[in-house]
Amino acid sequence: MRLLPLLILSILIGSFAPAKAQFYQTTNAEITFFSSAPVEDIEAVSNDGVSVLNIDNGAISFKVKLRSFKFEKALMQEHFNENYMESEKFPDAIFKGQISGGFDSRSSNSQELIIKGDLTIHGVTREREIPVVIQISKDGEQLRLNSKFEVACKDHKIRIPKLLWENIAEVIEVTVNANYQIIKP
Amino acid sequence: MKKIYLLVFLLSCSGLYAQDVDSLMATLNEEKDFRTIATFKSPRLVLLQTNETQKARNLAFWVGHRFGDIGGEFGGSNTLFGLDVATDLYLGFDYGITDALTVGIGRSKFNESYSGLVKYRLLWQEEEGMPLSVTLFGQSSWITREPFSSNEFDKELDRISHFLQVIIARKFSPGVSVMINPGYLIRPEAQVQDFEDSDNLFSLGFGARVKILKRISIIADYTIVNGLSRPDDLGIDYYNPFGVGVEIETGGHVFALNFQNSQAIIANNFIPNTTKSWTDGGVRFGFMISRNFNLGPKRTIN
Repeated sequence: MRLLPLLILSILIGSFAPAKAQFYQTTNAEITFFSSAPVEDIEAVSNDGVSVLNIDNGAISFKVKLRSFKFEKALMQEHFNENYMESEKFPDAIFKGQISGGFDSRSSNSQELIIKGDLTIHGVTREREIPVVIQISKDGEQLRLNSKFEVACKDHKIRIPKLLWENIAEVIEVTVNANYQIIKP
Repeated sequence: MKKIYLLVFLLSCSGLYAQDVDSLMATLNEEKDFRTIATFKSPRLVLLQTNETQKARNLAFWVGHRFGDIGGEFGGSNTLFGLDVATDLYLGFDYGITDALTVGIGRSKFNESYSGLVKYRLLWQEEEGMPLSVTLFGQSSWITREPFSSNEFDKELDRISHFLQVIIARKFSPGVSVMINPGYLIRPEAQVQDFEDSDNLFSLGFGARVKILKRISIIADYTIVNGLSRPDDLGIDYYNPFGVGVEIETGGHVFALNFQNSQAIIANNFIPNTTKSWTDGGVRFGFMISRNFNLGPKRTIN
């Protein structure tokens, strides 16, 4: 029973720790996706990504409304929402994860890290390890997160009909550029 | 034992942290109101226009066809259930000046008529706010065929009619959209076939789309003409236009395979002149195909 004080201490620390946690947030993260196929390249951009990051324990949550993606061709945008993503049924793409190991929350150097977590697109959740580059500004006010990863349409049950004229890559390249601000208590 | 305590410690911390990231996310959730897209897949349903318009700087090429009566006196195996006959053939172009304003031209075999149309989207349904879409539709038609009798068209204006319609539509769910289309046809007396019939006619259309697969829908529309401003005891039997069809969307194309009792494709022709009925074999097969072309420069998306 010598450890009982430690247990109490741990619960106390556990409950107080969040007050000391450093959170960063963004509501205008830029998410780009790019599909390269023989007939045409398709690109779409959203500037409405929303995210919160806790740098003390590396927890991250990221969300973007699929309707916020803009395409070069208006009809493509309609097809993206209607035929592929079914945005009315599945309005958001969501990622919830945890920065795995080696993250130094006091460093202002850019750090190459892996975020492990669940990526949910089109109502299908996949466990993913996503490479990111994180850099915290010297004054600690801002945090930049960049990432490039691929999403296979198949993995999320996004069906691309083979017989159609349109040409869409089976694997879509996703780029994330997010500038977070510190949340002051 | 130590390890268990340590685990409890870590769990209590990480549990709280994760929860906080999520609760902070909830406070950030700025709900943006988006316009409801694709209430209908196409600017046309079976016979009626929908609230949809062309996208800005997009051109649609239309090919429409109505075959002959499937059954009855003029159908059956003699005409291969109407496939030998073309009661109407429509070729047209619709162009989106903006996302809200479309203009179009077309030519119909029926009455050898040339037509021009304007569509304007007045209201857009939104996911949270506006519950309905409203589109205004106007179409003028010019009959160019030779007169059936020497005094049929005394003046050139006798060949021209105008059709105005308000299209009120709502997408109830991703698979179900409904519209109500009150309309008014203005035609010169020279185009009235039955002397007792009124020149100008009110109409009230109803249309619906039900998706059965992601790209395939069942479409139907029905237009009440009889019993509104049209007199009851006419020498010619007129029927209310009714069509059902299957709509198949494949990227830039929309195919509609239809059955309907109207012989003509444009409203100026089928609103006043539907003399065939579903009950006596006057129903016919038809199709409408559109091909979309994006003519404008690509939009800047950044």
